[in-house]
Amino acid sequence: MTPPPPPSSGSVAAMIRPTPQLGDSQINRDVMSVFMERPGLGWLLLLGLCLAGLGAGAVTWIYQIYKGLGIAGYAHPIFWGAYIVTFVFWVGIAHAGTLISAILYLFRAKWRNAINRSAEAMTIFAVFTAQLFLGIHVGRIWKAYFILPYPNQRALWVNFKSPLLWDTFAISTYTLISIIFFYVGLLPDLAIARDRSTGWRKVLYGALSLGWQGTARQWKSHTRTTLHLSGLATPLVLSVHSVVSWDFAMSIVPGWHATIFAPYFVAGAIFSGFAMVLTVMIPVRRIFGLEHIITNYHFENMCRFLLLTSLIVGYAYGIEYFIAWYSGVEAERTSFWLRAFGPYWISTWTMIICNGVVPQIFWFKWARTHIPTIFVVSTLINIGMWFERYVIIITSLSREYVPAVWGHYMVSIPELLIVIGSFCFFSTLFLVFLKLFPVIPISEVKELEIHARSHAHGAHSEAH
Amino acid sequence: MPTLVGVFDSPLDVAETVKRLKGRGFAKLEVYSPAPFEEVEQAVDPKPSRVRLFTLIGGLLGVATGYAMTIWMSLDWPIVIGGKPFAAIPPYTVIAFELTILFGGIFTLLGLLAVGRLPTLRLDPAYSARFSGDEFGVAVEVPERDVAEVDGLMRAHHAKEVNLVPA
Amino acid sequence: MPELDRREFLKVVGASAGAAATAACSDPVDKLIPYLIQPEEITPGIPVFYASTCLECSAGCGLHVKTREGRPIKLEGNPDHPVNRGALCALGQASIGRTYHPDRFPGPMRRGPDGRLAPISWDEAIALLAAELKKAGNRTWMLGGETGPTASALIDRWIEAVGAGGRVVYEPFAPEALVSASRTLFGVASEPVFDLSGADLVIDFGSDFLESGLSPTEHARQLAAARDAGAEQGRRMRLVYVGPRLSLTGSNADEWLAAKPGTEGLLALALAQVALAEGGGTEAARAALSGALARYDAASVAAITGVSAETITRIGRALARAKAPVALPPGAALASRRATATCGAVLLLDWALGAVGKSVKCPPDDGRRRPSYRETLALVDQMKTGKVGVLLIHGANPVYSLPPAAGFVEALAQVPFVVSFASTPDETSAHAHLVLPDLTPLESWGDASPRPGVRSLVQPTVRPLRDGRALVDTLLDAGRAMGGEVAARLPEGSFRNLLEQAWRDSGVDFVQALARGGVFEEVRHASVSLATDSLQLEVVEPLLEGEGEWALLAFPSPLLHDGRGADLPWLQEIGDPVTKITWSSWAEISPRTAEKLGVSYGDVIAVETVAGALEVPVFPRGGVRDDVIAIAVGQGHTVGRWASRSGERRGVNVIEVLPSLTDESGGRAWLVAKARARKTGGFFRFAIAQQSQDQRGRRLGLAVPLAAFTGGAPPATENGWAGATGAAIAGGAARPHGGEQHDEPGAAAAEGHGEAHAHSVIKPFDPAKDSAPESAYRWGMTIDVDRCTGCSACVAACYIENNVPVVGEEQVRSGRHMAWLRIERWIGDGSLEGGEHPWNPVVPDDGGPAPDVRHVPQLCQHCGAAPCEPVCPVIATYHSDEGLNGMIYNRCIGTRYCSNNCPYKVRRFNWYDFHVEGWPEPMPLMLNPDVTVRGQGVMEKCTFCVQRVAAARQTAKDEGRPIADGEVTTACAQACPTEAIRFGNLRDPESAVVKKSADPVRSYHALHELNTRPAITYLAQVKRGPVEG
Repeated sequence: MTPPPPPSSGSVAAMIRPTPQLGDSQINRDVMSVFMERPGLGWLLLLGLCLAGLGAGAVTWIYQIYKGLGIAGYAHPIFWGAYIVTFVFWVGIAHAGTLISAILYLFRAKWRNAINRSAEAMTIFAVFTAQLFLGIHVGRIWKAYFILPYPNQRALWVNFKSPLLWDTFAISTYTLISIIFFYVGLLPDLAIARDRSTGWRKVLYGALSLGWQGTARQWKSHTRTTLHLSGLATPLVLSVHSVVSWDFAMSIVPGWHATIFAPYFVAGAIFSGFAMVLTVMIPVRRIFGLEHIITNYHFENMCRFLLLTSLIVGYAYGIEYFIAWYSGVEAERTSFWLRAFGPYWISTWTMIICNGVVPQIFWFKWARTHIPTIFVVSTLINIGMWFERYVIIITSLSREYVPAVWGHYMVSIPELLIVIGSFCFFSTLFLVFLKLFPVIPISEVKELEIHARSHAHGAHSEAH
Repeated sequence: MPTLVGVFDSPLDVAETVKRLKGRGFAKLEVYSPAPFEEVEQAVDPKPSRVRLFTLIGGLLGVATGYAMTIWMSLDWPIVIGGKPFAAIPPYTVIAFELTILFGGIFTLLGLLAVGRLPTLRLDPAYSARFSGDEFGVAVEVPERDVAEVDGLMRAHHAKEVNLVPA
Repeated sequence: MPELDRREFLKVVGASAGAAATAACSDPVDKLIPYLIQPEEITPGIPVFYASTCLECSAGCGLHVKTREGRPIKLEGNPDHPVNRGALCALGQASIGRTYHPDRFPGPMRRGPDGRLAPISWDEAIALLAAELKKAGNRTWMLGGETGPTASALIDRWIEAVGAGGRVVYEPFAPEALVSASRTLFGVASEPVFDLSGADLVIDFGSDFLESGLSPTEHARQLAAARDAGAEQGRRMRLVYVGPRLSLTGSNADEWLAAKPGTEGLLALALAQVALAEGGGTEAARAALSGALARYDAASVAAITGVSAETITRIGRALARAKAPVALPPGAALASRRATATCGAVLLLDWALGAVGKSVKCPPDDGRRRPSYRETLALVDQMKTGKVGVLLIHGANPVYSLPPAAGFVEALAQVPFVVSFASTPDETSAHAHLVLPDLTPLESWGDASPRPGVRSLVQPTVRPLRDGRALVDTLLDAGRAMGGEVAARLPEGSFRNLLEQAWRDSGVDFVQALARGGVFEEVRHASVSLATDSLQLEVVEPLLEGEGEWALLAFPSPLLHDGRGADLPWLQEIGDPVTKITWSSWAEISPRTAEKLGVSYGDVIAVETVAGALEVPVFPRGGVRDDVIAIAVGQGHTVGRWASRSGERRGVNVIEVLPSLTDESGGRAWLVAKARARKTGGFFRFAIAQQSQDQRGRRLGLAVPLAAFTGGAPPATENGWAGATGAAIAGGAARPHGGEQHDEPGAAAAEGHGEAHAHSVIKPFDPAKDSAPESAYRWGMTIDVDRCTGCSACVAACYIENNVPVVGEEQVRSGRHMAWLRIERWIGDGSLEGGEHPWNPVVPDDGGPAPDVRHVPQLCQHCGAAPCEPVCPVIATYHSDEGLNGMIYNRCIGTRYCSNNCPYKVRRFNWYDFHVEGWPEPMPLMLNPDVTVRGQGVMEKCTFCVQRVAAARQTAKDEGRPIADGEVTTACAQACPTEAIRFGNLRDPESAVVKKSADPVRSYHALHELNTRPAITYLAQVKRGPVEG
């Protein structure tokens, strides 16, 4: 899309012709190389692996639809199992992205630039994955559309009093807003890619970038848009996991019916989200050699966040038990007693150790800056957070008001396959993303660089 | 009228140049920058962006829709549920809130597109790929006779080069 | 108006659908053509009831067979019938399955050379049988269960016509000892008839009259009447249970005397001795017996029986004071080799107390053939020695129910030609050379006379689904086919004609009798007097064969009876009322025994007797003596779709380890063997329907002490619903709330418990308010825990009324059984410790001397503020105008949130296409057309039998009046023998439910503190406590 060379002087044209390599910014080249170059063998192998797992999960799901939910490990009265556990887990993961982009943006925490693009992508993919489970969980997926308030002449509307419907609205809103946020942020970078690519990529980026040229007016409204979206996304991100927590808190199940659930879940979500970002970004940074863009400084800040949220979550664990005891309600007490010392004690202690104890290591700077440690800890946190949901859902349901129908639930093989499949689904999307879009928000990083650079220059020009 | 495109390295120079040009009365100018810069935007157009208007409308529309839809649907065929009132405001607030965000967000995006004049099918002839690198471009339409002067003005403000894009 | 159009449309659809449905009816071949000429008694969509008789046991309850478009869909009790008065037990309810059993013999079958049964035509079969009969001549023998009087007479006539050797009547649990005892004592060889309704002190010496006794349904009704809590002030009847194991009957007793098994007779005599010494009983008795009974003094008897002398004296005194005491003699479980003496001793006690002639009637012998174990064994001997050419087996499964020690199977091998009349394959028919399938009771004619004065009819209600033929008709045909003088000696006509003839001859209006179900009159029995030689009874402790520290107690299964119920899926799935174990066998041992053997719940032990050994998982419970291992009879089949694990043995058949022995008078003895036991190391995961019998002090099953009635006005409460009061009393009586327990989770909850209900945790509410203001109805229910015996008849009724599928052992194991109504069995108020055995439902204490077992039916409470409703995203469950908690199957998407939020956990989910797998052909024919069959992936639950409400509303509407009280009732309430469940309109101040739930002391709501505003009001059990001396 270069302008036609003027008839008068040939030099002009030469000078304006796009020259991607020469005269292009370092950051552009670094980031472009990540997603423009042909995928390496490692990437392909990884993708193959994920697709295999995804396939296995998909087949299992189809079989489940055909045969019935009985193939899952459900036992009366535990009617919610690994599917809902994993659903909540993924919704939790989905919180890091928006948090980093929106909240840290409002706090003007510049260090977010290095990671917010991949975090946002992660958010979107995590929400997709989470939504899968709503379909996998229900008994009659072929009637699942009943949950939408679509017009029908029989005046059959939905029940807006049900937390599950709040969920439907919250999750779908969150998905849309996250996509918008992601896209708006991506817009300038797409233009960069457009200007430096050829073939199908050029067409793709050309279309996606909507002819962005980075004019002053565009930048101004872009900044404003980002600000507003952040303003909207911040309460949204807090609301979404609150609503998810109300799926439990609004019920009368001992162990669920607690006012602390909303903040407890939100903190947990941020906790697990950050952990997931670390678990994913550490290898990515390594593989694509982005050490000078995503520096240990970024990781250290993330670790600080982990420490903070870990403390909040740990506090929530404690207060749950205290209230159970303080309430004097026998059902509550029994439920929590059996959480820790009943048949599910393993899950409970896994959760407490992984989420409450292990992250305390980040009090020490060496731990916050030692990458292998960070990787291990963040992975442990992911495991712990999955078990947190498992404990909350399974143990509470298994020991309710009527001891006659206490039950015991064990995850079945099909459930396991589907859960694994969901992780592969997520990874597949992320791998594709790595090869399609810039992992680093180029223009934001650039903004900082140019600022830094033009200072000296600026001073010089003032003196002039 | 031909267009002169000055290529700059520093946003400060760009801002300065723009001010001068405007002072000289060259209103038809466009600045291309690789990243957002307060000073540049101020120089080009000091008025705040109108995107916020869209957000406001969207949000209000959302909250209204939220309550209206939930209440109407509950009363269209009233059914007793758990001994609660047909139209129960507290639970419906959740829906209303979510819709506020949803509509607000969508309208903001529309705002960006409308105000930012997007999408456009073809790029300006003055636009160059280097402006999505780390260089700035100031494109200004000038009558033939003023070309030399503007060229000088730009170079005076550390324009690396000044090129002519004929009309 | 769209609605109107829709209605019109639905009417049309309904009509045509109805017409189509009628097609398939009384003909198993599904042809979708409407009646050309409609039978005038059938209106499509309207059920027709036929009076008949239940032939599952010897009680002979009257039936109302509910048929729709020519198909029986449910069995209900005949309200006019004196035995059951409209109620029907679980076995009776489930017996409808015999007619629709998928594995019924398609027609006559002959065993070919390859050892397989191959179908043949009836003509061939009859010819073949005739030929064999000719050949065998008087070497022809007949072995079978009890038949009705007419059939019995005809069979006898046939036997002497064809010159057969004779016949033997065989019933595993027949009360032979009781009959011979009655003969010895009073000179009348018949089963005494016990009437508890007027009694004020009942001592059951292990007859288990509520589960496997002479007439369970009748006796349950009488018991409830006798100790009606409503009339508590007037009558305060007590039930004392004597036996080594706290059976279902025992769990309903006020006091449990765990006497050493077999010593019941001694105990009875000791009680008689004390009672007479205390000046109780009749003059005659004191004169005749005082001397003879002297040696049975409390002290010495206490030494043998293990019941303390104080207890004996105390109860003896109570008997002396009692106005109308009744003692029930032991049943099969305790039939030792001294059974006759034991029964005699108990009857003697009755006589001494003057009960004989009043509550205990000894009718004259009606002369019908009675079962005899001695004769059975004699026949087996003849078979062994090849003296039997043809053996005809009907209405019995001796291969299963005779101990191998009797050598029946070997003997059978000696019989050249064995004919079985079984309608479905069983262990015995597997040995038959010829199978001539009998019709099921629902397809055949017949009659029964459970006791003098009660003659009831059996009439067919459906055309035979398979090509079977009535037993008597087959015999007659065979006889006629033998031609010559044999044919001449046989009566003309079919069994039906002969039956009608016989009834008409006895001066009965047959048609009227058919309509009523029989002829019922009160006969006055001549009073009996004590025979002089009766004191020759040798009442001593019986010997048990073999070595070992445990006595092996083989007791009749409450649901499967002697195993005849094992192939009726509902009975397998409902599970044992005491342990709640389904689809399998278990051994009941005491916690101390378990400790000694080093086993706990589910561990497999090897039980070894002189006759053999078997391996069975244990269920330790407090309700068993330390020297007893109790195993139920009824499981362990190797044939049968549900009775066996697809050909493999299901559970164990305890009969196989019992030596074949008789009592003094030749009756079958069951309590005969000692057993050794050892741990095998194996573990069996029970498919159990109740995870814990410990209610942890939660407000599920409450009890109030008698003091609550006698202590004047109940403690005041600001709570309009006195449930709180009951709770406070129950809680207070249960345990003193010590503050020191506080650090233990739950303990303080008990505190909160006791107090909470005095405080305002519970909001008073009026369930009648919870329906549309303009509606005339708010359907509600009262469940009287004091009346509920746990017999599970309601559960069976619910299964069949509501097309609830049976899901099988593996699904039950993960708690996926679909029962809409379950009976929870709670031991007292329950412990309050936080810890628990995740897999162990057993609570060590099962009652002790004063058992506190509460049977609490649990079903959808149809709450006014139902927690399940607000959480459903698609309004698949909602509150109807008449106060029902509705479930809309075709709107449900299966989020299962409703079940999570249901505190009572009464919702069930269709994990698979249960309605396909659960109803193999031709069972779909017995589905209730008024109830939707639920598909995969939807939630379901109790509907308060909304289809019945709808039917009643229709009639009421036609007659332009509101539905009257008692006009509509649920299947569970209908089946209940004790009227523990009442259903009605809470908006009708005159209705029974309103009156009952107004009980100031006993009424409470389950988990009231959750404020779900249930429509079901429970009435707390009354703790009467041990008998006062």
